[in-house]
Order: sequence, then C-alpha cells, then structure tokens
Amino acid sequence: MFYVSYIFSELRRRSGRTILTALGLALGVGLVVTVSALASGLDRAQGEVLKPLTGVGTDMTVTRPISFDTSGGGFPQLSEEERRQLQEENGPRRFGLRNLGKPGTKFSRDDFVAATQLSFPASTVSTIAGLAGVAATAGGLTLNAIHVEGTVPQETQQPQRGGVFAAPGAGPQVVGPRNVDIDAITVSGVDQTNRELGAITPGQISSGRYFSDSDSREAVLDAAYAARQGITVGETVKLGGKPFTAVGLAKTPLGGQSSDVYVKLAQLQALSDRKGRVNTVYVRAKSSEQVGSLARHIRETVDGASVTTAQDLADRVTGSLVDAKNLAGKLGTALALVGLLSAFLIASLLTLSSVAKRVRELGTLKALGWSQWLVVRQVSGEALLQGLLGGVLGVLLGLAGAAAITAFGPELRATFESAQTALPRLGPFGQGATPTASTDVSLDAPVSASLVALAVGLALLGGLIAGAVGGLRAARLRPADALRRLD
Amino acid sequence: MTVTELTTTPIYELRAAGRRFGQGGAQVNAVREVDLEIGEGEFVALVGPSGSGKTTLLQLLGGLDRTTDGEVLFEGRDLATLGDGALSALRLRTFGFVFQQFNLIPTLTAAQNVEVALAPTHTGSAERQARVEALLGSVGLAGRAGHLPSQLSGGEQQRVAIARALANEPRVVLADEPTGNLDTTTGEEIIELLTSLSSEGRQTVVLVTHNPEIARRASRVLQMQDGRLLAPAVPEELVAGGDRTRS
Repeated sequence: MFYVSYIFSELRRRSGRTILTALGLALGVGLVVTVSALASGLDRAQGEVLKPLTGVGTDMTVTRPISFDTSGGGFPQLSEEERRQLQEENGPRRFGLRNLGKPGTKFSRDDFVAATQLSFPASTVSTIAGLAGVAATAGGLTLNAIHVEGTVPQETQQPQRGGVFAAPGAGPQVVGPRNVDIDAITVSGVDQTNRELGAITPGQISSGRYFSDSDSREAVLDAAYAARQGITVGETVKLGGKPFTAVGLAKTPLGGQSSDVYVKLAQLQALSDRKGRVNTVYVRAKSSEQVGSLARHIRETVDGASVTTAQDLADRVTGSLVDAKNLAGKLGTALALVGLLSAFLIASLLTLSSVAKRVRELGTLKALGWSQWLVVRQVSGEALLQGLLGGVLGVLLGLAGAAAITAFGPELRATFESAQTALPRLGPFGQGATPTASTDVSLDAPVSASLVALAVGLALLGGLIAGAVGGLRAARLRPADALRRLD
Repeated sequence: MTVTELTTTPIYELRAAGRRFGQGGAQVNAVREVDLEIGEGEFVALVGPSGSGKTTLLQLLGGLDRTTDGEVLFEGRDLATLGDGALSALRLRTFGFVFQQFNLIPTLTAAQNVEVALAPTHTGSAERQARVEALLGSVGLAGRAGHLPSQLSGGEQQRVAIARALANEPRVVLADEPTGNLDTTTGEEIIELLTSLSSEGRQTVVLVTHNPEIARRASRVLQMQDGRLLAPAVPEELVAGGDRTRS
C-alpha cells in the first residue's frame, strides 16, 4: 500500500508531466481505436455487400462458362460433343413466324436457353462432393426463360437482332413486331433439399417463405423483379406455361448468379428438358484455409470448370467502399502505427526525463536499501499508471473519433463488375451480359469491447515500455554517483 | 604502516583503501591508501577541508561506492566484492545514512519519509505505523507526522532524516555533514541526538563535519587531506591545520 500511495504522490506532484505523458499515449491509442473502428466499419460494410454475393455458407461456385469468339470462331474451347449439347439445349438460333401458322393465327411458346454456362451431368456434383476438403455441395441450374406470344402477322417479320432478346433481368420486353410480345427472364433451379447451399437460401428470404419439400410448384421471386412486376407473395407466375405460386421474395445478389425467379431444381430441369443436368455447383469447404487448394483441385478434376471463390467475388467489388478500405488498410494502419510508436517514444522520453530529474531521490532510495528491483518497480508503476490514464483518455478520444465517423461519414458505393462472360448484346442464344451493379452502404465505425481492451492494453504496454526504460536507467545509477550529483 | 588506536572490537577494517575517478592524466585519487579500524559503538568524526575525500570515504564505508584500491572490510567482508543485492541488504538493515541536504522525498509526509526505509523490510503495516510513530516521537516530531518536508524547518527535516536513518535500528550511522545546513542551536541538538546513539545504543557513528566544535564531541577524530588520512588530531590542531600525514 505504501508503494501505491508513493506512486500517487509522485504523479500528483508532477501532474503536468503526468498529464502530458498520458495525453501523448492517449493520442496514439485514440488513433489506433479510430482507425481500427473505421476498418471494422469498412469490413462490416464490405461484408454487407458481399454477403448476398457469396451466399450463406457457400465458399465457391463451379460453372462451365462459354467464351464466344466474336470474330466468327464460335466456341473454340468446346468439344464437338459439347457443341452438340449446347445446340440441343438452346434450340435453333431463330424461329420463323411463318412456321407458327397462317397470318392472324395466335401463338405462344416458351423456350429455356442457357445463359453463359454450359450444363453438365448432375453426377459432377457427386464427383465434386467426393473430393477431399469438401463439406457440402448442391447443384443448380440457371437459364433464360423466353416467352413469346402474339399473332402471326400478315407480313411476317423476323425479329431483328438486338430487338427480340434483352438482357436477363431487364424485365419483360416488347421489342419485336407490334403484334408479338416477348418476355425474357432469368430463372434458377434450387435444390430445396439442401437448404444451406444454392442460389438462394432461407436466410435471404425477405418476405414470405422458402420452398417447401412438397412437389407443389412454388417460386421465390427476386424482390426487385417482383416490385417491377407488381407481383406479391401468394400470386401466381407462369413459367414455361405452368403456373407457380410465389411463396416468397428474396433479396437478390448484387452480382453473380442473380435471377428473377427461383424454382425447385427438379421442376426447372423437367420444364427445360434438362433432366439430370445442372450448370452450377455450390461448394462449401471444410475450412476456409482449404478453399484455395480445393478450387485448384476442382479445376483439375472437372474439365473446363471455372471456380469462383468468395474472394474472387470480393476482388470484383470496386468503388468508393474499396477505395476507402484500401486507404484505411494501408495509410490508416501506417498512421496508427506511427501514432502509436510516437506515443511510446514520447512516453519513454518523458519518463527518462523524469528519472533524470529524480536522480537525487532515486539515489537516496538506493542508499536507504531499496533494491534495484524495487526502484524499477516504483518507476514502472508510475509509468504504468500513466499508461492506464493514457488508455482511458485514448479510448475516449477513439470513441469520439468513431462517433464522428459514424455521424459525418460519407455514403460509400460498392460496384460489382459482373463475372459473366460478356457475350454480344444479342448472343446466338439470346443471352446478354449481366450489367454492372452498384449499391450504397453507409459508413460507421463500431468500437467493440475487444477494441477497448486492446486500446487499454496498448496504453499499458506503452507505460510498461516507458517504465522499463526509465526504471532500468534509474536502477543502473550507483547511489554514490546519484548522491554526488547533488553537490 | 600504523593504524589508529582502537579500544573496542573493530567493525570496520580499511587496508590501503583507495578510490580513483577518471582515467589517464585526468585521474583523481579521491581517497588513497587509507588504513583504519573503527570499533563497534565508536563515535568517529571525520574532518578535513572540502575535497579532502571525507564524503567519498563515508560512501565507501556505507557501501554506496566501491574501492578501486585496497579493501574496506565490514565485519571481515570486503564491501567491494559484494553484489548489489547484498549491499542493498546491508544498507537496509545495517547502515543508516544522514545527509547534509536531508534528502527527504518532497511528496511524502514526515511519517511516510520514515516509512520509506521500513517498506522494503516487509514489516506489517500496523507494526510499521507504530514504529514510525515511535521514531518520530524519539526525535521530538510526534505532532508533525503528517507534514510535508516543505512545511518543516531545516532542523525538523534533519530530525526526520535521522528518524529515517534509525528506522531499521542500524548498527552503523553514517552522517555526512548533518548540521551543514542548520543554525548553531539546531545543529547542536542534532549532534546531541547522534551522540546519544553511540553512548546509549552502542551504535557506531561516523560523522563528517567541518566544524571543530562538533568534532570535539566525537570519541575519535580523523582528519583527511588530499584523500589521505592524517595522524589523530585534537580540535585545536584542526583549527590551526598542519601536516600530520600518518606513515
């Protein structure tokens, strides 16, 4: 107890120096708290943006993308068999109105064409599931559903390129001849038996519910698509001529495998005449450390496979959010480090200066029989208490900084560059490039309890370093030398 | 080589003890070739002009400094060969120091300044407080325990310093011009206090002073000049000066 009251007495006597040292540490610690809170806020904002991209629990998606040679080369990467399969899945490049009946005859037809991925047997899902490091897999099928209806005109007109088919997700288009209506939407088949993996998961349902396990025709609609179309939960939507009950609405991903409508996988396979085929495999790895090696393994195992990891998706996000994150990650960290080191340096120098001014006192203590350890402990105790004071002040400064960021921080924009193969506006099968999408997120700077603990810990460390430096110097003083300096 | 006459059991034995500072041409011999024995319970006054090596010799006796030549034996142990821990223990338990400038810690009260010397002994708090109270009472400062040094007179501060020096009942009290900053009357009181230590408590007192009157109170007077110990002197001779280098 005596030692503690001695420490307090000394700090009180040198209150100016105590406050100066504590403030020095507080500035460094406050900077660390603010920058860490900012980084945490940016992480959270990025997580908010990326969550719908990656899907809950999905570490990677496996597809078989088609790259189209616009110079007339077609699909150079596909084998003859694959080309035949592609042709079979997507049907004729054009349909002739003349073939639909006599002029004045009403017609209606539905086609499902591949988007930008080649399908593969569902057995591939099992193949991937068997690889080491795979925790779970689920198959999926994403297609463009094209509905054309109208009356065969007197003068048959072939749809113009760029006029019939529109980009997926762009809503219903009436771009053909005036008496022909064409709707093109994207639809994904979801393996509803595997609720944690797939194009949508129960966690993404914003209204209504997820698919039931029954065989009833159910659809989950993209919330934005439903709003555009004025469709609410409980209404019926038609797909391939069949009625589906809209059981829920889902928040659509910012980019990647977004669709307008989601139905059960088996029903989409049946409707599109693609029984036993999928074009996306959702994979969850056993651990995040295995994602990289597993992605390589899948590429080696599945011919032509493209593996997209959550990190790949994160890398495609650009905009002010990423700029801010990079800035906080590099400049912010450097600033915090410099601030902290400066604070430690200031605290150490002030403690050394304090020791230099107390040579007589410390020499007297040694003359009275205080051991080196006791002298070091006394000086370190004072520095440690200064550190604690600095830590508390630093946390307060950091909280103020974080509050200022939350109050006055700008809205940050995240832009997602689509990963899909950019085909011509009107591809041979009608598919278009998915447009670049953006979203705004508000910036905040949360200060967690662990961050507060870290800040106080850093300040105490600063105090300890300063105390150790000063204490050791004090301890090395020979009492005779210390007392001799008095004269 | 002769040694000063000793009538009691020697507690200190100095054999050609010396202390040099600096190197080469800038070397200074603060203490040189001192042979001396000090008996237990003796009151020894160390006199001499400024810079004669009195304080350095006192520091060698108190283990505050180490000899560069010869040896200072305390109860047969050469202080220069002891480690820091052993020297600290000796300073804590066996030696008590009184300084000319009191060297009280300005932020601590009179009682706490005495407690400074007791704290490392692991004495219980209650016992420590009682001991502090008794010590301050013995130097006539019972009513000033809660005062800071700045609130005490010079004489009172030196009394606190003496109480601190006596806190652990040391066998040797080493006082470096304890009356140097005090008026004559107060100085006399302090010397009375120190004299009583050796006469009543069988504590050995080594006192550095410039004052022949004070030196006269000692049982033995040792005079130093240029780092050397001179022949035994009497107060009158001290005033007159003269070369009595011992051979």
